[in-house]
Amino acid sequence: MYKKKSLVLPFLLPGLAGILLFYVAPFFGGIWYSLTDGSYENAFVGFQNYLNVWQNPMFQLGLKNTMELSLICSPSLFLLSFVLSVLLNRMRPAGAFFRNSVLLPYLMPSSAVLIIWLLWFDYGGPVNRILTLLGQGRVFWLQGQELRLPVVLLFLWKNLGFCVVIFLAALQAIPESLYEYATLEGASFPRQAFSITLPLIVPSAFLVFILCWVNAFRIFKEVYFIGGAYPDEPLYTLQNYMNNMYGKLNYQNVTTAAYSFAVLVFALFGLLFWMQRRAQRGLT
Amino acid sequence: MRKMKGFRLRLAQFLLLLLAILLLLPMVQTFLYSFSSIGEMKAFMKTRGSYDETQWMEAHLIPNLVSLGQYHQILIADHTVLWLFVNSVMYAALILLGQALIIPPMAFALSKFRFPGREGIFFGIILLMLLPFQVTMVPNVLTLRSLGLINTIWAVILPMWFAPFYIFLIRQFMVGLPNELIEAAEMDGAGTWSVYLRVILPVCRPILGAAAALSFAESWNLVEQPLTYLAARQELQPLSTMFNQLASENTGFEFAGAALYILPALFVYLFFQEDILSGIQLTELK
Repeated sequence: MYKKKSLVLPFLLPGLAGILLFYVAPFFGGIWYSLTDGSYENAFVGFQNYLNVWQNPMFQLGLKNTMELSLICSPSLFLLSFVLSVLLNRMRPAGAFFRNSVLLPYLMPSSAVLIIWLLWFDYGGPVNRILTLLGQGRVFWLQGQELRLPVVLLFLWKNLGFCVVIFLAALQAIPESLYEYATLEGASFPRQAFSITLPLIVPSAFLVFILCWVNAFRIFKEVYFIGGAYPDEPLYTLQNYMNNMYGKLNYQNVTTAAYSFAVLVFALFGLLFWMQRRAQRGLT
Repeated sequence: MRKMKGFRLRLAQFLLLLLAILLLLPMVQTFLYSFSSIGEMKAFMKTRGSYDETQWMEAHLIPNLVSLGQYHQILIADHTVLWLFVNSVMYAALILLGQALIIPPMAFALSKFRFPGREGIFFGIILLMLLPFQVTMVPNVLTLRSLGLINTIWAVILPMWFAPFYIFLIRQFMVGLPNELIEAAEMDGAGTWSVYLRVILPVCRPILGAAAALSFAESWNLVEQPLTYLAARQELQPLSTMFNQLASENTGFEFAGAALYILPALFVYLFFQEDILSGIQLTELK
């Protein structure tokens, strides 16, 4: 640990300067934008922009869809990756093939895979074939409300690997003797997973959960891949709204929408953090 | 860890195998289709989007006739895809280069130096890391605009150099390194830079590998930034934003393009797979 202050500067300054220049300073500068009217005089209008944007139906639609999609994506991503990591952890070392097949998609460009997705979910494609074999009717996957399923699946395909890696790392740190004791006591596998494993990995699990949310807010990527730049209404996300406003050079609305969203996100994360604190206190 | 036995193990293995096949199939299918002739693919892709109840798309996995026609088209005959691919390589290379020069030193500063404001800076980085792209995009745009960099490649590259997530990741790894490492090197008369280059960087190999692989995956799949910052510059787009256009134009060589794009990512994975697992495992992620 170095204590002499001047020594740190060459290491710290380049990165810090960039963060201040690209993230922090304009973040506060942008607040001014969201409070002015963007005309030549740039008059101060208070919270008028906020009121306008909140009442804009496209903003409401984008926000609603973004929230709904992330509410579907992040819990399913979290649960799926937890169950998978527990299974994978039990299969070591024979599970190397399985582990690789789960991790590999995280490094793959989902952009290149979207064509396969469009094929699979075509009206005459394999997914509908399987549905018909199971005695169900065909579904119009590539339009309207149903479009959400392929989008969510592409998101899960891509993001599963990273969550599994973090979970696996946490799981491998748990001493084996705990499980041996639980087995002697006759605890079943699901019981062990939820009573021993889950409480012990709460800190990592919390990180995974938060990262699931942060990634789920970026679902625009998958929406763009499958729904294109102008998707149907059920897929119109906040990013679509912001890109639209940005294209019109309406910086007032862009900043206003972003800060409204930031407040919401931090309220959500604050709540999650508070719940995690309480849960952890309950466990110890 | 207790091993599963008998029927339960078989069942778990069967389910995992099914999942593994499903997860790998998109890549396998892309590679297989990339060896069909252009004519065959065009005819096949044309059967998409038919809402006739009596019709199915032909279910095939293996090309009827193995051909390098698609590759010939994108690599030799028509260079459009190739140029977009070169753009992607340029973005990934410049982003990773800048990150390599800026992020590990900053992580070192935030883990092995004591100075006032350190905790505050680190807390700020965590907050930034948690902000969704829609929010951080705004300050980025404001700065890029006043620097006149919108619609240039630097609009995509520069903000990525300071990506908070990788600072967090590497910092968390470095915090776990024993201080004795530095003290021993100092006894031998090493200055901060030589400690950083000769002691810290070599022991950080796993996390640096993991961070490089993760950052590559992000840079290779850029969508939001080029679409927003380079909206007016079609020729500067990376290949990742152009696939759905390729697919809708029914060019017949979209699968060779996709295979070409998957290949570098595959090599990166094979090269860094050990680092990803051990790097994350050795990092204090709490």
